Amino acid sequence: MQAKIALAGLGHEYVNPFTRERVLALDGLDLEVPEGEFLTVVGPSGCGKTTLLSILAGLTPPTRGSVLVDGRAVTGPGRDRGVVFQEFAILPWRTVERNIAHGLEIQGVPKAERAAVVRRFVDLIGLGGFEKKYPHELSGGMRQRVAVARTLAANPEVMLMDEPFASVDAQTRITLQEELNTIAQATRKTILFVTHNVEEAVFLGDRCCVLSRRPGRVKALVPVDIPRARRTWKLFTSDPAFGATKDHVLRLVREEVGGEDNR
Amino acid sequence: MTARREIVATWVVVLAAATGAWSLAAATLPVPAYYLPPPTAVLTALRDLTAKGILPTYVADSLRRIVVAALIGLVVGVPAGLALGMSRRVADFFYPLLNFFQSVSGIAWLPLMLVWFGFGERTILVAVNYTVLFPVMFNAVLGVRSVPRLYVDALRTLGAPRWRIVRDVVLPGALPSIATGMRLGLAYGWRALIAAEMLVGAHGLGFMIFNAQNFHQTARIMLGMGIIGVLWLALDYFFLRPLEEATIARWGLVQR
Repeated sequence: MQAKIALAGLGHEYVNPFTRERVLALDGLDLEVPEGEFLTVVGPSGCGKTTLLSILAGLTPPTRGSVLVDGRAVTGPGRDRGVVFQEFAILPWRTVERNIAHGLEIQGVPKAERAAVVRRFVDLIGLGGFEKKYPHELSGGMRQRVAVARTLAANPEVMLMDEPFASVDAQTRITLQEELNTIAQATRKTILFVTHNVEEAVFLGDRCCVLSRRPGRVKALVPVDIPRARRTWKLFTSDPAFGATKDHVLRLVREEVGGEDNR
Repeated sequence: MTARREIVATWVVVLAAATGAWSLAAATLPVPAYYLPPPTAVLTALRDLTAKGILPTYVADSLRRIVVAALIGLVVGVPAGLALGMSRRVADFFYPLLNFFQSVSGIAWLPLMLVWFGFGERTILVAVNYTVLFPVMFNAVLGVRSVPRLYVDALRTLGAPRWRIVRDVVLPGALPSIATGMRLGLAYGWRALIAAEMLVGAHGLGFMIFNAQNFHQTARIMLGMGIIGVLWLALDYFFLRPLEEATIARWGLVQR
């Protein structure tokens, strides 16, 4: 079967605008992601995780190599690939419901149908009663939920998530991770989730892709053999497979950071 | 609301005290009457000039000129600034030019404009519109350039075409800066208008206070100055504030 995402010989080089140095962010990266897989990507900071995601999103053209989604070369952004950004990328001048509906508006979906989809996602992310609120009236966790809902509502084939829960508090992060897990199970979307948090990567991923230090390439692909239904933090942390997988991934990552403590 | 009422009450007291002090000074200071007329003389001037229809006509002249300039600023200056701001290279190229012209106020242009356009309405309109237009354009350009790249990228990944990015992201994102531009432009324009009316001498509040000086009608001068200030407050309250309340204040982009 054809892979949903296929990267071959991917390399990316750019010039740092401040130091004017040439930076080789990615080099010879090969990766295949089958349809419906939740793949998490971890690696030391600066290993090109975000660059990889940006290339897949079509926002950054790679210097070399091929990027195929559904067998077609990526030449720019497209609504088949939805992105949830690290910072809050929802629009401050749109209410919760209008932010969530934005992708559908762009697709020309009629108003009544839009309203139905919005209602469904507002329920899914637990923001009932907040539909008419503006982002500045929401907490950080709520805003990031809206961002996830906006991407999901547009119904992309592939979800690209760039450390989406990095800037919310620990308690909210756990809730969001569990919610995302439920959503992933329900929608069966292909998801590529970038994080620097090994625990998060193991908790969410069907497989966990460890990148090497810069220039980033795939160091290892670690399968996480725990059924999705058992992935709540309570069940998960007591599962021996979780601890073993986490330690394994952590070891791989630490080899790359060279002893620097990375949790 | 009670805080607002307190502010109003405080102002009533302050104004009453100031008026009292002014009256006292006018009555006791050893200066000619025209040097410091009492508040009552200003009120008399207000009544007389209103009854003769001079004041309403002049106020209408000045207001019409500034409102026309405001509309032209909105209809021409804002779109022009937005267009220039769209491309980083174009914006960088025009930046020093716009910055230069927004600093050379219409007042500094007046001598040259009098040579070119003569002592008449044309000079006033050119001076005022010029003064309003540049800060408006300049700030619209800055506004476009200040829209976070992230918002644009987010919309691109949702599959938005360029026109929609402009409408849904660039325009609202530039609005705080556009509002600042309108505020600055109109404030500068209002000053330039009064100055132009003084020099050109063709009706308007500026003409009124300048002309009154020739006849030692100090009360008229003070009346005109007061009205200039009050009209600005009204312009702010009825035109600029509603614009901001409906948009950027509601979106949490400014702290009120």
